[in-house]
Amino acid sequence: MGTFIQLVVDGLATGSIYAALALAIVLVNQATGLINFAQGGMAVVSAYIAYVFVELGLPLILAIILAIVLSFLFGALVERFLIRRFERGDPDTAVVVTIGLLTLVTGICAVLWGYNNLGFPSLFPLTSVEILGAVVSVRSLATAVTIVVIMVVLQLLFLRTKLGLALRAVADNPASAAFSGLPVGRLLMVGWGLAATLGAIAGVLVAPQLTLTPGMLDTALVYALAAVILGGLTSPIGCVVAASAIGVLENLVAVYIPLIGHDLKIAVPFALIFVILIVRPQGLFGRKVVVRV
Amino acid sequence: MRKKPGGVLGIVAVTAAVALSLSGCRGDSGGQGGGSASSPGITDSAITLGITTPLSGATAGPGKCTVAGVSAYFGAANAAGGVKFGDGKTRTVNIKSYDDAYDPQKSLANFQQMVSDNVFAATAGLGTPTNRAFRDAAISQKVPQVLVMTGDPLFSDRKQSPWQLGFVPVYQNEGAAFGKLLAKSGAQHKVAILSQNDDYGKGYVSGFKEAIQGASNISVVGEQTYEATDTSVDAQLTQLASSGADVFFNAMSITPLTIAALQKAQQIGWKPSWFLPSNTSSPTAILEPGGASAYPGIYSVSFAKAPQSPAFAKDPDVVKFLDELKKYGNYPDMPAFPHCMWSYMVGATLEKAFQNMKEPTRDSFMTALRDIKDLKAPLMLEGTSVNTTVDGQPAVSSVVVQKYNGKGYATAENFG
Repeated sequence: MGTFIQLVVDGLATGSIYAALALAIVLVNQATGLINFAQGGMAVVSAYIAYVFVELGLPLILAIILAIVLSFLFGALVERFLIRRFERGDPDTAVVVTIGLLTLVTGICAVLWGYNNLGFPSLFPLTSVEILGAVVSVRSLATAVTIVVIMVVLQLLFLRTKLGLALRAVADNPASAAFSGLPVGRLLMVGWGLAATLGAIAGVLVAPQLTLTPGMLDTALVYALAAVILGGLTSPIGCVVAASAIGVLENLVAVYIPLIGHDLKIAVPFALIFVILIVRPQGLFGRKVVVRV
Repeated sequence: MRKKPGGVLGIVAVTAAVALSLSGCRGDSGGQGGGSASSPGITDSAITLGITTPLSGATAGPGKCTVAGVSAYFGAANAAGGVKFGDGKTRTVNIKSYDDAYDPQKSLANFQQMVSDNVFAATAGLGTPTNRAFRDAAISQKVPQVLVMTGDPLFSDRKQSPWQLGFVPVYQNEGAAFGKLLAKSGAQHKVAILSQNDDYGKGYVSGFKEAIQGASNISVVGEQTYEATDTSVDAQLTQLASSGADVFFNAMSITPLTIAALQKAQQIGWKPSWFLPSNTSSPTAILEPGGASAYPGIYSVSFAKAPQSPAFAKDPDVVKFLDELKKYGNYPDMPAFPHCMWSYMVGATLEKAFQNMKEPTRDSFMTALRDIKDLKAPLMLEGTSVNTTVDGQPAVSSVVVQKYNGKGYATAENFG
């Protein structure tokens, strides 16, 4: 029983990493209708920026705040000067552009900081607490709590604020949004900026555990995309639930179904996706929308 | 997608073939001085070596070291006037490096490029899949591919790999060293094993198990695997912790996973002694961030002096090595990976072979390279040496088990 609870807790901790990135992907999708494959890469850039400030001797929390602010600008600039050119065209082209962006930012990180694993300080101590006989590290717990807070804020932003409504309107139908007087361009920039901010938070949360390398979030991105599809592209809550479920399910399947084991567990979330998408094409929590990607 | 690489490869192959035939012509006309014609890549005053290795991508850290070490060694030798070869001529040694990003397709293309660049031999490159990718081509074109950084035993099998020789100990050598130390401890030990699901992990485990065969005091109580692409091994550790093992053999090649594993096990209150492979046991890059001091013992194997260890800070080998690495290797930092030291030793081993080769040909080079016994290359630990005369073994097959002492490693005579 102890092992079972520990596996569930471990799975939730891993799931929170996927969830952080998934939330940023949902945000960009909600705000611009695109799926940004470079989200992980941009989050890594943010983590490196925070790292540079820490190296300069700033306190960690200040370094993170600065990195978050700069990430907002970075995200907005990427939208304004790169993605803008592809927004009106074929969505497939935009997707390829974001994949190109992922390769580019990874390469730039490598040139600037190299491929060595850099130790990134954690906001939270490496101590652990015991819950129901399972050991939970304070770091994982704090990460999970942060993710839940962000999720709630996002949900409120989209459903309860004018900005959220405007963002959704622009994503849904840019032409009508423009006709009704919304500053479409500026809203798109804000959407990307906010997503980059979220990515920055995800980056600094997971960097202490994964250690900072240019490809730090590459595998996490695959899981985050799985969570986004599974939970529904339109639902922050859905993708957090899906990410946690993937983390837990993977662990349990690997340990309790020997046929699958640790080597085949990566297939589990994707098998799940096939099944769920056949039954519910909009994802577990998604609203039915015309998906552009 | 599928068609393109083939097309590119085809072009590369044709270009290489043309270049090869051209260089062949050159070789013939140059041989008018009598005696046997020299091989491509070697003249009366210079020899060119090629290194294809990851200089970008996730393995670039160790990859850069493989170029830096060889460049440092021969940079210093060239500055001192060059290397005196067995045929009486003194030559400078030029190094050409090629980035393969740990991609087998690219390393094969790089090899073809080396052939057209008139490289005498490929050496020191890091990576099992990348070295395997051009092994057949090297054999059919009779180009030496020697002292490469892979623990794959295939490269040291003379029948199958006539133009190859591995440098670093094969994975089995390392696993066996752990097994022997544990078996001779005499005390009862329960061992848990976590290994990478590929030849790397399997090699370690098979070497270890062979060594403990018949040792009644050792039992393996849990075995798990993971994929090199996994982001977490928490579940495996939770499972292995419940086996109650007091020794944990973590045959892992991924740096962040090793750090995470060291942290995770202490969080769930499992504190065994650890065995770690030589390439994931760096005190500064792995053990310190992983909080390794919490465990009763961290063991690894090595054959190179660790420059960051206080014990070797004033060692003349280490001082000279760090100086040359900075000056000629374009590597100003303290090396975080042992590959810098290993490839420096590769330089020394190559120099020994150069000194003994009677003719400026690849054949003569291979003969000389396979005839080195008990060479104490700079930076080698007491109890280890270069020995290239045994079929089936790489140039270095002797390793010393070491125990972490909070700062660096010291040789461990006994377990516990």
